Amino acid sequence: MRTLLLLAGLLPLAAQQATPPAAATPSAPPVASPVPSTDSWFSGYIDLGYRWQTGVGGSVDAYRSVVDLGSGPKLLGADFTITAPRNLFFDQIHARADSWGGEPYETLHFDMKKEKLYDFNADYRDIAYFNNLPSYADPLLATRGIALDEQSFDTRRRFANFSLDVLPGNWIVPYFSFDRDSGSGTGVTTFVSDANEFPVPNTMSDRTNLYRGGVRIELKRFHVTLEEGGTTFRNDQTVYQSPGSTNYGNSAAPFFGQTVDLTSLLASYGIRGSSTYTKGLLTASITPWLDLYGQFLYSQPKTNIDYQQNDSGNLVLESQLLFYTSQQYLVSAAAQLPHTTGSLGAEIRPFSHVRIIESWLTDRLHNSGSANANQVLAGLSPTEQTAALLSSSLVTNYNQQEIDVFFDPTSKLVLHGGYRYVWGDASDVILPAAGLVGAEQGTLRRNVGIGGVTFRPSQNLSLNGEVEAAASGGAYFRTSLYNYQKVRAQARYQVNTSLSLFADFALLNNQNPVPGVKDAFQAQQESLSFLWSPKGGKNWTVQGSYSRSTMYSDIGYLEPESLTPQQSIYRDNAHTASALFSGNLPHYFGLTPKLTAGGSLFISSGSRPTSYYQPFAKLFLPVRKNLAWFTEWTYYGYGETFYLYEGFRTHLVTTGLRFTR
Amino acid sequence: MRFVRTSSLVLFLAAVFGGASRAALPPGYVGSTACGTCHEDIAASFTKSPHDLVETDKKRGWEGRACESCHGPGAKHAESASAADIRDPAKLAAFAADRICLTCHLNQPTQIGRLQSSHAKDQVACTTCHKIHANGPNGLVVRKAAAVNELCVSCHLNVRAQFQRPFHHKVPEDAMSCVDCHNPHGSIRRAMLQSFGANEPGCFNCHADKRGPFTFEHAVVRFQGCGTCHEPHGSANPRMLIRQEVRFVCLECHANLPNAPASNSVLGVVPPSFHDLRSPRFQNCTVCHQKIHGSYVDRNLLK
Repeated sequence: MRTLLLLAGLLPLAAQQATPPAAATPSAPPVASPVPSTDSWFSGYIDLGYRWQTGVGGSVDAYRSVVDLGSGPKLLGADFTITAPRNLFFDQIHARADSWGGEPYETLHFDMKKEKLYDFNADYRDIAYFNNLPSYADPLLATRGIALDEQSFDTRRRFANFSLDVLPGNWIVPYFSFDRDSGSGTGVTTFVSDANEFPVPNTMSDRTNLYRGGVRIELKRFHVTLEEGGTTFRNDQTVYQSPGSTNYGNSAAPFFGQTVDLTSLLASYGIRGSSTYTKGLLTASITPWLDLYGQFLYSQPKTNIDYQQNDSGNLVLESQLLFYTSQQYLVSAAAQLPHTTGSLGAEIRPFSHVRIIESWLTDRLHNSGSANANQVLAGLSPTEQTAALLSSSLVTNYNQQEIDVFFDPTSKLVLHGGYRYVWGDASDVILPAAGLVGAEQGTLRRNVGIGGVTFRPSQNLSLNGEVEAAASGGAYFRTSLYNYQKVRAQARYQVNTSLSLFADFALLNNQNPVPGVKDAFQAQQESLSFLWSPKGGKNWTVQGSYSRSTMYSDIGYLEPESLTPQQSIYRDNAHTASALFSGNLPHYFGLTPKLTAGGSLFISSGSRPTSYYQPFAKLFLPVRKNLAWFTEWTYYGYGETFYLYEGFRTHLVTTGLRFTR
Repeated sequence: MRFVRTSSLVLFLAAVFGGASRAALPPGYVGSTACGTCHEDIAASFTKSPHDLVETDKKRGWEGRACESCHGPGAKHAESASAADIRDPAKLAAFAADRICLTCHLNQPTQIGRLQSSHAKDQVACTTCHKIHANGPNGLVVRKAAAVNELCVSCHLNVRAQFQRPFHHKVPEDAMSCVDCHNPHGSIRRAMLQSFGANEPGCFNCHADKRGPFTFEHAVVRFQGCGTCHEPHGSANPRMLIRQEVRFVCLECHANLPNAPASNSVLGVVPPSFHDLRSPRFQNCTVCHQKIHGSYVDRNLLK
């Protein structure tokens, strides 16, 4: 008891004198201490405002495809933390929301936890996918000046996730989770019929639910995670054209003297799917010099498809040169994809300065499908009825083995060398074969040498470099990595307490010398950034980055019409820069206004020269202790050299209030 | 100097008497209370940190010695008040610092992909991202998308630049974060990509409508993944494609003569001859082959 009393008396004394010695001792650099959290049980902020868009100069569709921000009242952001004032059923609740009010990306997050009892997280996002670029969606635009918005869509995807960990921090942790991913919207797609294709509206709606649950057993010597999960999936699409109108499609040329057109269409996809999966994870510390890792993963998704199509018009069956006036096409199909993955690995530390990592991975995926199609063509004499049964198989077996050795001769230098062997086989078969599509096979054989070095001579300077060089004896695709060299280097230098520099370099050189392929690909990127924050950024901070990238690809292909060898050459030379200034303005009534300004630019030349500018400025003016007014200006300017009609420019001005507690 | 001597004395006494009150303390250890006498702000902060569990949980074996579970025995440091007498993980090589973290955290599912992680291989220490003394509402690492992205691009400058291209995933807008697609602790997938379910590509977490399985698959999607045709970080080409026109994306692979004996056996057959590339109808392959990610009903991916 006396000891405790003496200690209690000494502790405040020591505490009062703790900070000055640390600062006064040159050999002991000050310890970066975190800022203790506020003691208030409720803290956070909410940003409410209004945005004006000055109107889009240029292509509104391109603007919506790239930016898509609009006018109106907005909940720009909110972030709240509630700390339990006493021993309630939670320790902390945290909620945040961003960009609500008709925004193209709305997010919401909520978490609540109680130490050693539970940890609950919920997340929701609603993201707009609008895409309607004239150069992409209108094949007739360049030649006939017709915009049919083919391959465009206006959809939203919504994601919800709920997860609950029970007894977190204990040795045994059960957990449960539910995810939902859904999408819906409209668009324009093409209905493809022999000799012509017709742009038609379509609707899309899909929904995937993912249920999972498992248990983590975390002991001192090993850990095991066992998880079971499953999904349900439904996808309903409709492609249609109302009766009473004539769709002449993309081809204006008569086919054997007749115009091929579409007068009505209703096609619907009813897709239902489900899957189950099993996951087993293991880590173990066998001895002080050996750690083991392993995992076994198995999934088997399945789908069943019911497709119905009724169309009419003046249509043709090219293979028989038969014209017909209406068609009924029904398909009943199914597919399943058992997929097994296993990996094993070990980290061995035979000596104090040497580590050996050995890992092995196999990934086996076998998809099989079948489709039973029935077709009735009317308008012929007699009516033609056909049936077809197709089966498909897609198989890939991927394997990888790698060994890495790390050697650290000093505490400031780490050398790394390794070797990876990748092998596998794949096949893609559809039976019965038709046309050029039949059975295809591929093999994969790749030897990769790995090297790396990390040098950190002082806490202010670190250098890191890694290189991979590979030689292949087979690849699945012509554009796959074959004989390649990959280099990555990084440097970080803290010049002084105010200024830090960072540089990054990456290079990928891939060659496939096989006759008929002749793939030559090179991509290189150099980046430099700085952060200047005098006095720890107390008054102002400037940061900037610049990146230069070049890409060159040259690969042979065959022109389908004549099988003439051609070269596909792609170039992209880009400059990217960004800058941000953030500084305090002269204060008033004890309140400090803040100005932030900067932006980014992207300029490229080559196969698709593009420019994209996004400057912005923001003024933040505190009104009272818990209230501030802010105004932000942003400009978006987009330009295409080859597709001038896709350029756009607009100003956005947002103003609002921040309430803080 | 006198001040230093006084402080050292105070620390020493605190260590000695603090130690006396905890007979269970192994030799060389002083207990977290003694640490808190000097590092007051860290100690106050630490009580609200997730790591405070180490301080109170008897099962973990570090009860009352949470500070020393990472910094090592502190008696000598408490006596001398010299930074040289205490282990500072920030000054250790990355792998050595990581070993300290892995003393407790190795046997957790988070580490299952560590051997394949380029972060681990490139000597990126746990403390690069995790602030061990932090006590914010989100624990030891930032959680908000904007903060996560800022943290990642502080090293991955090249990726930052790629996201400034016009067509990109909504990462700069902070509607997504880097960890939505990448697992910074490592995974068995290339580029430390996340998974969907057990072993399916993480892209399906958001693009579940592309998941299938399809009756007629587009083989490249299964064999090499979405990155074969798309630049997920950003592109100047619409829909993040790797080429300026769709036909080149397709024809660079679909250029093999059917049934031709090929020493390296590549997949992808040249299209039939009616595909007249001089006509705009055939220059954007996906106008007809609209189910390019795989079709449920048509072998040619037309519907």
